[in-house]
Amino acid sequence: MEQEIQDSQESQPLVPGSIPSGNGYQVRLEIFEGPLDLLLFLIRKKKIDIHDIPIAVITRDYLEYLERKDQINLDREAEFLLIAALLIYIKSQMLLPREQEAIQADDPRQLLVDRLLEYQKVKVACTLLREKEEDQLLRWKRTFLPPVTKPEEAELLEVSLFDLAQTFFLLMKKRERENLKVIKGKDVSVDEKIKEMLGYLEVHGSMDFLEYFSGQETLEEALVSFFCLLELVKNHLVIAVQEQLFQTIRVWLRKSRAHSHGQSHE
Amino acid sequence: MNDRLKAILEVLIFISQEPLTLDKMKEVLGEVPEDELEAALNSLVSDYATGERGIQVVRSGGGYLFTTRPEHDQWVRRLLQIEKKTRLSSAALETLSIIAYHQPITQAEISAIRGVDSAYCLKTLLQKKLIKIVGRKKAPGNPLVYRTSERFLQYFGLNSLDDLPKEEEIAKILEEEKQAIS
Repeated sequence: MEQEIQDSQESQPLVPGSIPSGNGYQVRLEIFEGPLDLLLFLIRKKKIDIHDIPIAVITRDYLEYLERKDQINLDREAEFLLIAALLIYIKSQMLLPREQEAIQADDPRQLLVDRLLEYQKVKVACTLLREKEEDQLLRWKRTFLPPVTKPEEAELLEVSLFDLAQTFFLLMKKRERENLKVIKGKDVSVDEKIKEMLGYLEVHGSMDFLEYFSGQETLEEALVSFFCLLELVKNHLVIAVQEQLFQTIRVWLRKSRAHSHGQSHE
Repeated sequence: MNDRLKAILEVLIFISQEPLTLDKMKEVLGEVPEDELEAALNSLVSDYATGERGIQVVRSGGGYLFTTRPEHDQWVRRLLQIEKKTRLSSAALETLSIIAYHQPITQAEISAIRGVDSAYCLKTLLQKKLIKIVGRKKAPGNPLVYRTSERFLQYFGLNSLDDLPKEEEIAKILEEEKQAIS
C-alpha cells in the first residue's frame, strides 16, 4: 500500500497549489483510513522522529494535502479538519513563550504523539490480523460453509390454530388500513366459499392464502374465506403451511381428501 | 493410549458445527481422567497432522474442529462455486483490532483512537457476529460496550485472546520499520 502512495506522489509532484487532475484526490482518500493515517504517512515520508515532530512543517504538509482535494466528502472532511485544527492549536501553543521547566514537563505535542503511537500500533496489529485472515480463508471450516446444494422446497410443517389466528388478525388489520368503502352487501356462505376454495385448489394445486385473502372483493368475503380455511384444516381436507410468523400461508389439498371430503358433506 | 476414546473424540468433533470445547467433551463423556483425554486429543491431532490427509484437527476458537488444509482451497471453491472469499474492509479490520486489544470498549473510545467515526463499522462487525455487545458503561449516556466474540477467534484461527499478536511483537515490527526508514 505504501508503495502505491509513493508512486502516485512521484507521478504528481507535490507542488503547492497544484491541483491533481481527475479523481486523484478521491483515490487518496480511500488509501488513508483517516486523518491519523495521513499524518503517520507524512511523518514517515519525511523520516521524522515521531517523538519530536516539527509541528510547523507537518502542519503545512497536512494542509497542503487537504487543499489538493477537488471533491469534498463532508463526513470525512470534518474529521480531517479536526486534526488540522489540533495541529494549528499545538503550533500556536509552541509559539507562546514559556518557562524552561514548563516546556520540559508539558509538551503541547504530547497528546498528539500519544495518539499517533497508539494508532501506529493499531496499524501493525491490522497487518498481522490481515495475514491471519488470509491464511484462515484458505482453511475451510464447516461453520462457515454455505449450503452445497440449492435450497430445496421448504419442509412442510403444519401450523397450529394459533398461528392461523394470528395471521388472520394481521390480515384483518391490513384490510382495515385499506379503508375500503363497502357499498353493496353480498351474502357469502361458508359452504359456497369452501367449494370455491377447493375448486381453486383443484385447478391450481396450491394456494397462497395471503394473496387469495387480499384478492377478495369485500371484507366480509375475506373473513369468510379465513373461516373456510379453518374449517378445511379441521376436516383434514387441506394442509396449511406457514413458514414464519406473519408470512403467507400456503395451502395444499390433502392426498387422502376424497374420503374425508365425502364424510364432511354427507 | 485409549484408542476407543480417541475414536469417540473424533466423532464428537466431526459432528460439531462449532469448535468443540473441553468442557463440552467432559460433559458428554462423563468420568474421564483429564490426562487421558488430553493424551487422546493430542494423538488425534497428530494423526491428522502427520498423515497425507486433506483435513486436519485444529484448536481454534476455544475448542477443537476440523478444517481443510490450505493447499486444497481451490477445490473447495470449485465445489461451492465461490470465486473468491470476501475479506474484511480495512476500516472494519481497524475497528476490530482496536476492540480486540482494548476490550471492553465503547464506540466513542474506538472513534477517538481511529480519528474517524466508527458507527458503520461497528454495525458491520455486529452483523458478521465478530463482536458482541456486553453491556453498558456506567458513564454519561450509558454507552454500549463491545467485545470480540468466539467467532472472532475462530475467524482469525486463534484459540483465545492470548493468541493475539503480543505488544512486544508489534513494538518489534515498529522498531524494524523505523530502522528501515532511517
